[in-house]
Amino acid sequence: MTAVARSFFAFLRKGIAVMLQYRGEIVLWAIWGLVNPAVSYALWSAAAESNADGTIAGFGRGEFAAYFFAMMIVGHLTQAWDTYEIGHLVRSGEMSPKLLRPILPIWEALAGNLSYKITTLAFVVPMWCLFAWLVRPTFDTSAWQLGLGLIAIVLGAVLNFVLNYVFALVAFWTPKLDAMGELYFGACMLWGGRFAPLDALPDILRWLSGLQPFKWMFAFPSELIMGRITDPSEAFRGLGIQLAWIAVSIVGFRALWSVAVKRYTAVSG
Amino acid sequence: MARGLKLMWLFIRVSLQNLAAYRFDMYARIGMAFMHVGYELLGVWIIFNRTNEIRGWTVYHMLVLVGVFRMVAGGIRIIIVPNMRLLLQDIHNGKLDFVLLKPVNAQFLVSVREFVVWRFTDVLLGASVALYGCVKLTGTVSPEALLRFSVTLTAAFAIVYSVWLMLATACFWFVRIENIEMVFWNVFEAGRYPIVIYRPWVQGLLTFVIPLAFITTVPAAALSGEDSKIVPYAPVVATAAGVCMLLVSSWFWRFGLRRYSGASA
Repeated sequence: MTAVARSFFAFLRKGIAVMLQYRGEIVLWAIWGLVNPAVSYALWSAAAESNADGTIAGFGRGEFAAYFFAMMIVGHLTQAWDTYEIGHLVRSGEMSPKLLRPILPIWEALAGNLSYKITTLAFVVPMWCLFAWLVRPTFDTSAWQLGLGLIAIVLGAVLNFVLNYVFALVAFWTPKLDAMGELYFGACMLWGGRFAPLDALPDILRWLSGLQPFKWMFAFPSELIMGRITDPSEAFRGLGIQLAWIAVSIVGFRALWSVAVKRYTAVSG
Repeated sequence: MARGLKLMWLFIRVSLQNLAAYRFDMYARIGMAFMHVGYELLGVWIIFNRTNEIRGWTVYHMLVLVGVFRMVAGGIRIIIVPNMRLLLQDIHNGKLDFVLLKPVNAQFLVSVREFVVWRFTDVLLGASVALYGCVKLTGTVSPEALLRFSVTLTAAFAIVYSVWLMLATACFWFVRIENIEMVFWNVFEAGRYPIVIYRPWVQGLLTFVIPLAFITTVPAAALSGEDSKIVPYAPVVATAAGVCMLLVSSWFWRFGLRRYSGASA
């Protein structure tokens, strides 16, 4: 276990060094995570304003500001992108040396994920403050909601990372198909509540979103942080569901990984 | 001129042959195009399930806009994106020398070397959605609206092309920025919806500083005959903006080219 930890921290140091080298580029990537929730906020607050009572599903302008401000932070901290990357690694043969190491490649991917989030903080935190200052979100959050919300963000990040990696393993069978990344991303937008608060969805879609893991990565932490979940038992139940989905994802990863590695044939060298 | 067109036709034919070689890939991608439109229509349904209009834009106005957005996004990926990516690669590895040596205008040649033909699916799907919205809205598609639409859409493409050419040209100085196109996509994201959803100062910014309004909102409004509400004399202003951008970007390209010293490493 200590060997894994030592390798992991080595990967993390390497990852941060790489990210700092490409700081201009990672800022360009991070901007999308700011623009997208800002656009959604503009859309939904304008839509709410057009209604007679100025609200949609209990969200007024200030609540939409709080929701999408929380989503801006949660979306950045829980994001994962291996579905886009592994296909490329398999195609180019870069996966082969990773498989030879006595440590699972998922640890290196996790270190890369964390180093991106650590290095971009210096850029996104001021931007988050600027957005909050511009849109004046109405928060109704008590200390326990914030505390549990932070735990929910960590669990959401773990869940998204592992599940995204499981879906990425499809690349071992069809490395040319980039569709998986797009499908997963679309699911996060719609079922995760990044496009609209789940309470604003039509009933059938809201019901469908409850059956899937995506809302536990994005919508649940955001609603907890903005203070929309007022019942502590509901919050704890949510954390429990997050843990359950994480367990399912890890089991899925272990099962699929052993099959995928046997399936792997190196493409080029 | 005739030689330019012949050359372009040749590049289109080569692209078609490449496409025919990977047919399964093509079918998968066409399927994805349908999925994209499906997602966007779902988005419109979700919003208008909760409200009847957004600052004067009804569900049919929004369908026109979604259609136009898809047409522009598809059109950009047919010709602008692939050629500018190729240009960036050539600047990186010094192959641009081969382009400059050819006896054709270099800006023309770097802009027409590659076509992603299957992306026409996006344009067709987008056009269908936009026309459906327009017919629902005005009962018909009048020749005048169609003319205003064609003019403003052409201007939109001129603006987008100029922006991409300038971004690519910037790489003569900053060779390291491989993902410079993210600058464009990050801004383009805000054009997914009519600019009326933003606050007045943001609208001003997106019209006069970053001409995003001319790329999706103005053509969409032109199709339903309401473009003057967005920008007065929209077709004239849009054309002027397009021509200005083309001139500026072409000047910038020639300026950057003088700095290019060949990187045949």
